[in-house]
Amino acid sequence: MDRIRYYVDVTAFQMKLAVMTMLEYPANFIGWLLSNPIQFLVGFGTLKFVVQEFGSINGWDYGQLAFLYGLAVMSHALSMLFFVQGWFMGYYVIEGEFDRFLLRPLSVLYQFFFTQFNINGLTDLIPGMIVFAYGCKAVDFSWNIRNVVSLLVILAGATLIRGGIYIMMGTLSFWTKSTNDFAGFTQEFFDKTTMYPLSMYPRAMQLLLTYLIPIGFISFYPAGELLSGMGSGGLLTMGIGVGMILLAGLFFKRGLRGYESAGH
Amino acid sequence: MDAITVKHLTKEYRLTKKGTGLTGAVRSLIRPQKVTLRAVDDISFSIPEGEITAFIGPNGAGKSTTVKMMCGILKPTGGEILIHGKNPAKERTQVVQSLGVVFGQRTQLAWDLRLGESFELMKHIYQIDRGMYEENLKIMDEILDISQFIDTPVRQLSLGQRMRGDLVAAMLHSPKVLFLDEPTIGLDVEGKYAIRKFIKEINRQKGTTVILTTHDLGDIEQLCKRLIIINKGKIVEDGALDELIDRIAPCKNLVVEYYDENYVQHDKAQIIGRNKNIVTYQFRKSKITGAGLICDISDRAKIKDATIQETKIDDIIRIAYGREC
Repeated sequence: MDRIRYYVDVTAFQMKLAVMTMLEYPANFIGWLLSNPIQFLVGFGTLKFVVQEFGSINGWDYGQLAFLYGLAVMSHALSMLFFVQGWFMGYYVIEGEFDRFLLRPLSVLYQFFFTQFNINGLTDLIPGMIVFAYGCKAVDFSWNIRNVVSLLVILAGATLIRGGIYIMMGTLSFWTKSTNDFAGFTQEFFDKTTMYPLSMYPRAMQLLLTYLIPIGFISFYPAGELLSGMGSGGLLTMGIGVGMILLAGLFFKRGLRGYESAGH
Repeated sequence: MDAITVKHLTKEYRLTKKGTGLTGAVRSLIRPQKVTLRAVDDISFSIPEGEITAFIGPNGAGKSTTVKMMCGILKPTGGEILIHGKNPAKERTQVVQSLGVVFGQRTQLAWDLRLGESFELMKHIYQIDRGMYEENLKIMDEILDISQFIDTPVRQLSLGQRMRGDLVAAMLHSPKVLFLDEPTIGLDVEGKYAIRKFIKEINRQKGTTVILTTHDLGDIEQLCKRLIIINKGKIVEDGALDELIDRIAPCKNLVVEYYDENYVQHDKAQIIGRNKNIVTYQFRKSKITGAGLICDISDRAKIKDATIQETKIDDIIRIAYGREC
């Protein structure tokens, strides 16, 4: 219990510092505030063109697609807030940046993600919410208690699934000893697989993204649940999210054993 | 009581040997040749509480690796380290609570914010209570005069100011052991003076055990009673600086300038050079003192000037580095 209070106290202060750092560079934040929403809104606009030409994508009409797209972008934004460092873990490993984390009486993985909140990531939340709101209206989504709770559980679970995958990919750099970050690749891959219906991909790809890398549970399956009003109410996504984070934590711990700092 | 005990400590790195050119690169990709590098090779020592000890050695000697193992950053390949009875490789979070660590080449301060915010962060990370926090800040402000730049963003501090900030940040939670990795690197004379004064004062007032690595011999002369010299992963010298000087350089030179070319012989000093009326004697410190020798000589001849030459500490360290154990 004391341990939890300790982590909450440190986290609250780190968040305060993150806000203060952001305020040091207002122009930087404004830049993100403009560019990030545009990036996703343009992407969504393209989708409209495709639907107009073909009527629907794999049985999903434009409203449903907006619902899925918005849901995916929102959990993307949350994962950028908490887990974006995972994309750059290789740099931390090679440059010996874990030294300082190892010298403080806090979990290394916790410090890796929570010493620098990426508040700029929140700017992705804006297009996500806009597109999602549009989708909700188009499919006549009912905002009852069950749906609202499910939605929040899904967003939390989806953020954890993304975070878990980022950690696992980043942890590989303990062995590869390479600063190559997967940032571009990861974003591209996640965008393509979470913002559009998974069912439009070949069967093998669907199986892969369901059972091996559970990306389907970030947006595709939960969107189906919310739209049909059936299913686990997001608990499946949450369960997989927690599982992924725990697995990633173990994998990271194993990787950290091989940490060699930088320079001897 | 010993603050730190190190027994048979060893650290090995596995490296891939790279061939030359494209052929070499392809070959080491297909069949990598692994070589084991023993950076620290079976070293043992212990450091009593409240002592200031310097680790010195040429670049790549293994001193940073040793220090990184002592503070829990690297895991030893073999052997054991105990910091106040606890093993940093096994009880990391408990051990680091009583450690302060400063890397001269790296900062732990929040780059974009005023210096004071980094101190506040330490208060949360180490759960320092307000009373202790303010008292420590006051004590350290008296030595380092940090209040004049505590409101400046870290990115705008000079290297000397930043270093002072890093020292304060490392000491706010009153650690029992302070590790300093090249704390005076790149600093000007005044900066070095401030850092040394701080180390001495903190050691005196709080009884902090201090371990430092350095290439600056001034640090050693002014701070350390004890010196551990590491070379090629092994300890080649361990002891007090003056003992080391006596052992490596047991002789001093005396240069005497006479009024004419009549000079004196002495049975406890050997003449190693003469240039007209200037004669250089070499004598063993254990046989006769410099003053005694000057006295004897001036009794027997009129002398104009006398200078005692000591082996420079640089030379002594260089001789010790060159030695294999």
